[in-house]
Amino acid sequence: MRNISLFILIIALLIACIGVFSIYSSTYQKEGDFWQFLYKRQIFWVILGLVIFSLASNFNYRRLWDMTHFLYAAALFLLLLVFILGIVRLGAQRWLKLIWFSIQPSEITKLVIVILLAKYFSTKSVDDISLGVNRLRIWRAFILPFLFVVIPIGMIIEQPDLGSAAMIFIIFITMLYLAGVRLRYILIFLLLIILCLPILWHFLRDYQKDRLLVFLNPNIDPLGAGYTVIQSKIAIGSGGFFGRGWLSGTQSQLHFLPESHTDFIFATFAEEWGFLGCSILLFLYYLLIKQGIIIAHKTGDNFGRLLASGISFMLAIQVFINCAMNLGLAPVVGIPLPLMSYGGSSILVTFLSLGILVNINKTRAVF
Amino acid sequence: MRINLIKPFVIIIFLFLVLGIFNLEIIQGARYRRLSNKNCIRLIPQQGSRGRILDRHGEVIVDNRLSYDAMVSSYANGSVDKTLSSAAGILDTNFKDLKDAFRRQYAAPFMPTTIAKNIEAKKAIALEELNQDLDNIIIRPYPLRHYPYARLACHVIGYLNEIDRWRLTRLVDYGYKTKDIVGFGGVEEKYDYYLRQEEGGLSVEVDHRGRLVSVLGFRPPANGKDIQLTIDLKIQKITEEALRGRNGSVILMDPDSGEILAMASNPNFSPAAFINKTDASFRNFLNNPDAPLINRAISGVYPAGSVFKVVVAASALEAGKVNSATSFYCPGSTRVGGQEFACWSTHHQQNLTEAIANSCNVFFYKTGLLVGAQGIYDYAVKFGFSHPTGIDLPYEASGFVPSPLLRKIQRFKKWFEGDTANFAIGQGELLVTPLQVARMMAVLANKGALVTPYIARSVDGKDISGSRKKTIKVDIKEGTISYIRQGLRSVVVDSSGTANILSSLPVSVAGKTGTAQVSRGQAHGWFAGFFPFKNPRFVICVFLEHGGSGHAAVVVTKQIIENMATEGLIDSSG
Repeated sequence: MRNISLFILIIALLIACIGVFSIYSSTYQKEGDFWQFLYKRQIFWVILGLVIFSLASNFNYRRLWDMTHFLYAAALFLLLLVFILGIVRLGAQRWLKLIWFSIQPSEITKLVIVILLAKYFSTKSVDDISLGVNRLRIWRAFILPFLFVVIPIGMIIEQPDLGSAAMIFIIFITMLYLAGVRLRYILIFLLLIILCLPILWHFLRDYQKDRLLVFLNPNIDPLGAGYTVIQSKIAIGSGGFFGRGWLSGTQSQLHFLPESHTDFIFATFAEEWGFLGCSILLFLYYLLIKQGIIIAHKTGDNFGRLLASGISFMLAIQVFINCAMNLGLAPVVGIPLPLMSYGGSSILVTFLSLGILVNINKTRAVF
Repeated sequence: MRINLIKPFVIIIFLFLVLGIFNLEIIQGARYRRLSNKNCIRLIPQQGSRGRILDRHGEVIVDNRLSYDAMVSSYANGSVDKTLSSAAGILDTNFKDLKDAFRRQYAAPFMPTTIAKNIEAKKAIALEELNQDLDNIIIRPYPLRHYPYARLACHVIGYLNEIDRWRLTRLVDYGYKTKDIVGFGGVEEKYDYYLRQEEGGLSVEVDHRGRLVSVLGFRPPANGKDIQLTIDLKIQKITEEALRGRNGSVILMDPDSGEILAMASNPNFSPAAFINKTDASFRNFLNNPDAPLINRAISGVYPAGSVFKVVVAASALEAGKVNSATSFYCPGSTRVGGQEFACWSTHHQQNLTEAIANSCNVFFYKTGLLVGAQGIYDYAVKFGFSHPTGIDLPYEASGFVPSPLLRKIQRFKKWFEGDTANFAIGQGELLVTPLQVARMMAVLANKGALVTPYIARSVDGKDISGSRKKTIKVDIKEGTISYIRQGLRSVVVDSSGTANILSSLPVSVAGKTGTAQVSRGQAHGWFAGFFPFKNPRFVICVFLEHGGSGHAAVVVTKQIIENMATEGLIDSSG
């Protein structure tokens, strides 16, 4: 048991170190104190992340159960605060500026939603044993949790942060599935969403439409939205098997690749370390997520079980969407690569999630 | 629970990723490596030019001329320091300043760095010649806003400046970015979306020495659309000359269509100062307590003074409180609610026409009390006060019309008879913009229609005035209008009329003067009228801030109409 925890910590640290090196590499040619400072800040975030990790791993996760409503309210409050005080960055209002750094409430919301749904579905299954989990009525199984989730989704879309909103939606669907809600409900719901897509399309902002169209064909706008995807593919593709070596990637070094330290950090890494490096990195992520799944399997407590599998799934899907977006296989939506992308909110929330996983693993023995 | 399925799912998505990477790095690796290795992609932005602004006859008020930026590429051959020190000699600055500018602007190795903006053509050529030895200087020509008439119509035009955060948050969905140059105030702001050019550019492949290999993509820059105004440059010039040295504004408008023929506001500013910000006057405009950036014609709110008597007369006639037979005696003052209210002279017996001609306060105190404050309020609103006129310019003020009800709701205070008396002569809390006054006069000129003034006639050759021409029929009897018009005419033709000096003009003018008392400084002067009397083609409103009296405004009006007649701008047959 102890060694699973240690294993998670070591792998997470390893990935975070790779992230710091990649951020250093993607910013070291850029002049100006701001850029030189970024990797140092990232080191600070990782250290703070470790502190949060150790706190979370010693904090009985069952107490999250009692705090769920408070956490949910706090997340909504932070999202609301973004509208009131939020500062404008990259054309979207996603950050809350604190004294000397900013946080991104949508990152925190993802984790809160996992906790909320884990509690919701585990309560139902414990209390209504006679009903059986998969016989939850449509109202309780579906509409009520959907109402909880749709509020933060709406607020995040309004920021606008399509990526995080989609993430929460995917988390929702997955949690429904994991909790054992009737497949029929999930499929009907997905079908409804697909049917509504043409209507939702009209609510998207022009640049969001651009991004989705560019995903279908990057060459329609080589100077605008398609530019990043083309450059990202060139960066990754030019890595070859062994890569170009650290600090030697021309695409990211010469700044053809925008956002090479945040959403496109994977392309920077892939250019320098090649197929070999990428395979190792993805293997590390796989190992990390696998530990989460193992913990979920071993846990007897329904809440812990749903929480552990929800967190593992959240990590997996973030890795997947971010890499796929770098590879040009998914539309460019702002989803960070956990533990690698520059940014405090993502690092801290990821370490917090891992800390919760470790605690579930420890506390399991009590039940 | 179905957690058993999560592991295979994770394995599948990771395999998918590995395959994707394998495809890019191994199968297509050679191709991408070639693209990245031998060839680089560069973006060369190209600017279109902003749309021009023309007057009603197609005369150019604002256009663009070529300007040059000097840039240094650190990616090409040649040492940057050597280039900068040679360039310093040509640009009349020292090496250190240029080096600082280079550091500040530097963005990326392959992107040329701007070291000097907006340089003269002569210097640009000299710098270009440096390239024979150094080959890393780039001279980029681009269109820059040019104002051939300097400050003329500056408030109507507005100026250009870098987008601020307030605007950016509102415009980001329309494709505006940080550092964009956008319109501030006037037509430049209101019609920025049409005027603005679209950035284009080339996406090119270059080899390791920066030589062009092939063009990957091209998006042509698009020029902004030209906007034709309703302004007549000749009339605009005449109004601004007449206003010179005084604070205030002048508006000339077509009473039937609402087309603004001239709109002047003083003090004014030079839009060019915002282009070349080394000009110290740029700061002066922002910090000047006289607020030269404010368009007094639409954004300034002032007490109306006696020009408001037109509204009171209309309300009294419509309510049947006075008629052509009514007359009051003016002993020079009258008591209202235990307080003495003065007239500016002793007029003796006055009927309505005479009271308008002589601007007799006592007559209007009494008339106002007969009609009541609410009655006057209703007609003030009918004549377009208390609301923006809807002109297509930003930052229009709405002014304020007081009423007993509003006072009770907003401030829980009582309305006194003295307030009604003050209201009846356009004093007290009443606030109006010069454009609202001009529009009120237009109702009398066109016999009963409240027009929506507008200033842009066409965009890119397409007439847009159709959508702006909104007129509201004001519910007033024709008899009332012609009776008031008679009064306005006698303001000019009566020997004792307050604008009698206008009777010497070659065109028949009618109108009303106003002297608005203010708590501090000299009174504001107003004249609002229309001409030719029979078939009015022009509405004029002259407002002088602290001008002393309505007489000063009449003098300015006279000068304007005289000069318009001399220039042959008035068809005097009317």
